[in-house]
Amino acid sequence: MKNLTSMHSLISRLRPKGRDRALAWGLVSALAAAAPQALAACPDIKGQGEVSFIGNSFPAVSHVARQVEACARPGLKVTFKLTPQAREETERAFAAGRSPFSGATVSMGEFVKFQSLGQLQPLTDLVDKYRARYKLEDGMLIRVNGQVMAVAFIQNAQNLFYRKDLFDKHGLKVPTTYAEMLQAAATLKAKEPGLEYPIAQTFAKGWDGATEFANLLAGFGGRFFKPGTAQPAFNDEAGVKAIELMRQMTRFMTPNYLASNSDDVMNQFQQGRAAMGVLWASRAARMDDPAASKVVGKMAFAAAPATTPGGKTASHLWWDAVVMPRNTSADRDLAFQLLMEGLDEEAVKTGNDTAIWIRSVYKPTRFGTGVAAAAKAGAPIWPSEPFFSLAHAEVGKVLPEALTGTLSPKAALDAAAQAYLKVAAEKGFVK
Amino acid sequence: MKTRSFLSFVAPSVVLMLGLMAVPLLLTFYLSTRHCAPEMEMVTVRQSGPFGTQETVTQQVRKGPDGQPLQSCRFVGLEYYQKVLGLDRGAVLQDSGKAGESSSSGAAEVSSAAGKPAAVANEFWSALRFTLLYIALTTPLVLGLGFALALGASVLTQRLKAVFITASLLPFIITPVVGALSIKWLFRDDGLVSVLLAQFGGQVHWMAQAWSAQLLVILYGVWHVVPFAFIVLYAGLQSVPQDALEAATIDGASRWQKLRYVTVPHLMPLIVFVTLIHVMDAYRVFEPVLVLTQGAFTTSVQYLTYHVLLVENNPYKASAAAVLTVLGIGLLLVPLLRRTWREQRGQV
Repeated sequence: MKNLTSMHSLISRLRPKGRDRALAWGLVSALAAAAPQALAACPDIKGQGEVSFIGNSFPAVSHVARQVEACARPGLKVTFKLTPQAREETERAFAAGRSPFSGATVSMGEFVKFQSLGQLQPLTDLVDKYRARYKLEDGMLIRVNGQVMAVAFIQNAQNLFYRKDLFDKHGLKVPTTYAEMLQAAATLKAKEPGLEYPIAQTFAKGWDGATEFANLLAGFGGRFFKPGTAQPAFNDEAGVKAIELMRQMTRFMTPNYLASNSDDVMNQFQQGRAAMGVLWASRAARMDDPAASKVVGKMAFAAAPATTPGGKTASHLWWDAVVMPRNTSADRDLAFQLLMEGLDEEAVKTGNDTAIWIRSVYKPTRFGTGVAAAAKAGAPIWPSEPFFSLAHAEVGKVLPEALTGTLSPKAALDAAAQAYLKVAAEKGFVK
Repeated sequence: MKTRSFLSFVAPSVVLMLGLMAVPLLLTFYLSTRHCAPEMEMVTVRQSGPFGTQETVTQQVRKGPDGQPLQSCRFVGLEYYQKVLGLDRGAVLQDSGKAGESSSSGAAEVSSAAGKPAAVANEFWSALRFTLLYIALTTPLVLGLGFALALGASVLTQRLKAVFITASLLPFIITPVVGALSIKWLFRDDGLVSVLLAQFGGQVHWMAQAWSAQLLVILYGVWHVVPFAFIVLYAGLQSVPQDALEAATIDGASRWQKLRYVTVPHLMPLIVFVTLIHVMDAYRVFEPVLVLTQGAFTTSVQYLTYHVLLVENNPYKASAAAVLTVLGIGLLLVPLLRRTWREQRGQV
């Protein structure tokens, strides 16, 4: 405000009389009306300096980033780097001597890695200090052995997308098991000639396919590791069943399934080429985007099917959170406040439809029904072993061989288990 | 020339080459012979969050007295080279008695539990196979098409030439990832090419089997690099001696004979140059593999290095893979370099 007053006095001295004066007054008052908003973006934050953050570039994180960057002002430079390579960059930064980023948004899987490597700093004191100001809710706090290590803001899960119009037309009920899903697919294939590939799922080589495998493995009651060890257990009966189920599904999918990642599956739904499949809830809102979708209002969402009748939904729950690394030299108090500005109630209200927020002010939309159903149906939490991503990657590599039949499911999984043991030993997880 | 002034002339480039090429290469080699891993210990962790509280047995890094995470480093010699090349399997299984030494006891346990070790081809060799196939198929196509375009451009009128050259250069100017994405979108289920082919009854699911996925990557490679060959050879065509061509015409040479015995020999150094550069580039084929197929049916040597570095998160093993890549390129270039060397000596 000091600047404004001096500006006002300057203008009134220059143009003391008549019409010009009125004009000058008008200008000043217009400025004054606009200025408080700009200045008051984050009025409680007192610090000075330069703070950088990093995060993955999807809609909800972009929204958070914009809120955080809005706190910038003369003397306080705030940058929030958004990139699809955030995982790799954050890993390098947090492992370095000094991290160029004072904070990051990470998914659950990444959090586990950082936590196990001791690269995160506890936030308990900061949470206590600012809990009231930012109305931090208990459900947002990720505690490890009592200490707050991260503040979560959104949740996500893979859930069932299905064409309600087609299901209604043919009197099909929403599948609660994969067997029902295959049946519904067969019916649609027979009765809807325009619909070539009733099922679409992310079976792409690598991360996507392996994540589907992880969901189904959990559905069949399997485990990735022998309890309490880093020894693989995914190459057992449940693993074989999971792959056999995936093989059955491929009959109803585009033959290009090995290249179908989340973008491709979303596209198949939007173009009306597929009628059902399990996909990320964060893609749900895009089904009603008239610019990209031919199925506006026709898609509905439910919990992912179970693999066995009466079983739990074969999916996992995820969250995304902000963390701060140990190796930062920036003002941690300031960095924390800036991050919290991006997660406050106001931010959730303005970005309500971009994600499924954890805060209680979030107003659920129809796009979040699948996640809510998944949570209610008892979906487990994504595995939290730090060596999980290594096993996951090896499964992703052999999946094409198993799905196309070059290798038997058992042989493929055994190969993955063997390869996993090698890399796990290299990383010191297996002696 | 005095030795002193000779040295001062070459010093800047020698220093640059040492600093930007030799030193990083040596550092990479040094990294590839080492191994660091955090010291992990089993712990029981009680974690709570939006989905409730759960207790898990997991691993956590051991911390020193100052609270810093502990990690141990050691010299591993050429172990990672063996691993990348897949020469270690037998060794690992025999080694299973020595627990704690390197990797083995667990692997032995799995393979005995699983019966016989699974018959999966070593990744490096399958990656190398596709990389060599890619080089073998793209190189002649790049040269042939580039030469044809250059010949075409040289007979066009001046005004058409500008348009033609600009248009032909576009694929080379576009960022590889963007180029690969646009090719992917042409060939996926709803893509223009797939739909057009289906109209004529030739529906192909490009990412569904090995031959088509590999063809797509090769197609991208040709599309992306032809402009480079084109522009170099086009420049070469401008300097073909007209008197030699006229003499050939007077001697009654046909158009084809003039091309075969005058133009091509004149362009030979440039053809060798384009081949040299393309072989080097092609051995490092990466973007189309990552974007078009995510490595399904088509892993390349460079894709493997990327995978080791970013997915396995192992910079030491990735360094070994990178050094092997350099050696591979070196081997491939030996015949071409020998030819250039001989020519240089011949001229001197």
